[in-house]
Amino acid sequence: MSATCHDGTNDTSHAPASRNAREGHLLIALVGRPNSGKSSVYNALTGENARVGNYPGITVDILEGQVVLPSGVRATLADLPGLYSIEATVDAATDEGVARTFLNTAKSKGDRLVIVQVVDPTRLALGLRLTRELARTKFPIVLALTHADVLAAEGRKLDPHALADAVGVPAVLVDSHERDATARAVLAAVDECLRAGADARAAKYFDPASVAKNVVRDVGSRRELARRHITEHIDGVLLHPIIGPFFFIGIMALVFAAVFLIADPASVLMDRLLGFARAGLPKILGRNLFTSLVTDGILGGAGTVLAFMPQIVILTIALELLESSGYLARGAFLMDRLLRVLGLSGRSFLPLLMGHACAVPAISATRIVRDPRERLTTILVIPLMTCSARLPTYGLVLAAFFWDRSPFFRAALFVSLYVASIVAGLCASWILRRTVTKGRGLPLVLEMPAYRVPQAYVVLRKAGQAAKRFLRDVGTTIVAVSTVLWVLLAVPMPGSTPAEHRIESSVAATIGRAVEPVTKPAGFDWRINVGLIGAFGAREVMVGTMGVIFGVENAPDDSAPLTERLREAKKPDGSPLYGVRTGLAILAFFVLACQCVSTVAAIRRETSTWRWPAFVLAYTYTLGYVAAVVVYQVAGIFGVG
Amino acid sequence: MIFLVTLSSLANAALGMQFRIASFVGLEADATAWLGAVGLHEGEELVVLRRAALGGPLHVRTASGGEFAIARELASSIACVPAPVVP
Repeated sequence: MSATCHDGTNDTSHAPASRNAREGHLLIALVGRPNSGKSSVYNALTGENARVGNYPGITVDILEGQVVLPSGVRATLADLPGLYSIEATVDAATDEGVARTFLNTAKSKGDRLVIVQVVDPTRLALGLRLTRELARTKFPIVLALTHADVLAAEGRKLDPHALADAVGVPAVLVDSHERDATARAVLAAVDECLRAGADARAAKYFDPASVAKNVVRDVGSRRELARRHITEHIDGVLLHPIIGPFFFIGIMALVFAAVFLIADPASVLMDRLLGFARAGLPKILGRNLFTSLVTDGILGGAGTVLAFMPQIVILTIALELLESSGYLARGAFLMDRLLRVLGLSGRSFLPLLMGHACAVPAISATRIVRDPRERLTTILVIPLMTCSARLPTYGLVLAAFFWDRSPFFRAALFVSLYVASIVAGLCASWILRRTVTKGRGLPLVLEMPAYRVPQAYVVLRKAGQAAKRFLRDVGTTIVAVSTVLWVLLAVPMPGSTPAEHRIESSVAATIGRAVEPVTKPAGFDWRINVGLIGAFGAREVMVGTMGVIFGVENAPDDSAPLTERLREAKKPDGSPLYGVRTGLAILAFFVLACQCVSTVAAIRRETSTWRWPAFVLAYTYTLGYVAAVVVYQVAGIFGVG
Repeated sequence: MIFLVTLSSLANAALGMQFRIASFVGLEADATAWLGAVGLHEGEELVVLRRAALGGPLHVRTASGGEFAIARELASSIACVPAPVVP
């Protein structure tokens, strides 16, 4: 979840039963109810980076990793999305549908497959209902009972041998914090299951509630037993009909304000350092074309975007903490009523919130929404959510045009941009549910997980992944676009009359000027137009593009950061090139326009048609343009400079 | 001997009281099957912990240990009877 945060996980979501399995290679399918701790077990077994969270349906794709059993047998481990049932009818496009299709395909192809069912022992009877259904698939099954630490802390003891006898499959109790021990125990159980062969067949008929009652005993002290009620006590406050919603809104505002207040000084510092690097390099490399490419093209473009990495990392950490603590499911509970008025439900809440980090995984996460109409509506409005790729532009505009205001004023403005995008998304869903996605919706049923203390290594790993992806994308896409733009700014348009400033007659400037008649009502000149054209594929390119334009345009040893250059830029008559109202118009456009090719591709993948991506591009660009014009013109009427 | 039981919808169930799901009224078979898989099936006992404001969902805990948010609209399709009190 970063600015260009398009999940780099091995997406095999629609490729059930991998090629290896078909060739006789062993395939292990990790199956379990949502929030059973499946992703933690996957991480323990493979050491790879699946999403780990405390919310139903967090594994949005099927991840694959390689494992070696104690016997030396190599196997492919597939982490399936959470599912409640493999027998109840479910839309094939949902998370459950994807997992079921995987198992059904493996069965029909006769793959060599072992199911490792991850079960939360604090909710054992619920997990065993799924075990009973899985037994009917005739695949060998291993039960991996997670949260051994929670069970012990709550004064409960589970007898895995008694459970194995009752259900007829190997069962191991693991603590996913102890990753090595977890991996050893689960893989040894798979080996045992393979050795037992046809003798290890799960019982198809048993009463989950009775089995659960017989294998779990209370052994704890009064203090330990009291821990079971922690979630209940916390919920008493956080889900209070009056306090709960206010607390929730406060938390969300705090998260978004913190992203700005904590990351802004770091961004300013990084911007300053880059300014010094830009000014210092010509002294070392000399003044030549290569130096201009490095300082104005690469450092001015990609380097400027890099300054906004702290914001992306902090946003990722904040959302991860909320998710892994179990609070987001409460958010869905609190928001359901409001979302129902708008034609959605609490189940749409997680994808919509994830959209604030990155729209691409958020669109995949809509698979947890069972109602097809609601799911489509959620997909169509996610691009309106303030993804982290917008943050560099927001940060640039706020620093350039509101530099003389207090940090709290700028933080409030920053939060209001989030509010604007949420309001726009909600209004859009209200309209869509009454027009293009009209129809009766399915009511909410959502499992509420217990509160858990987030695992520090998981949160930090997530932040590290976000930073890595951001660096990777800056290192590829944005460097490439910045370099191309530098060339287009350096090369004059064929047949042009040499202008006083070479950049004025460049290819890029000519293209930007050609669009000016359309964008002038919004206050956008050729420079901003070039930025917007460059940002069509990825909106974070905007800042890099502006960095290149002002880098090429200004004196080579000018160390001023881009924000100052934007603020100080003058028209030929000496008046400021841009004012506050230009900044506001840019913000209005960025709040609404879907400038992200990856999002468009994700919508195409999830809807299996180009109709909906085209629809999203059309309506968001129209809204963005109209909003920019209205903001610019109205600000002018009120005398905003 | 005739036993008289009072069927009431889960939407109207009193907070903190133990109820047993008696039947699903007006729901399609698919929906009932899925609810059963989730952990809300006939015979399951549950307690309504709270109701969200302004007609929002109910927060219930089942005897199997699960906790769920259930839309009030759906709760009104779940018929319940008071669960027998275990001494």
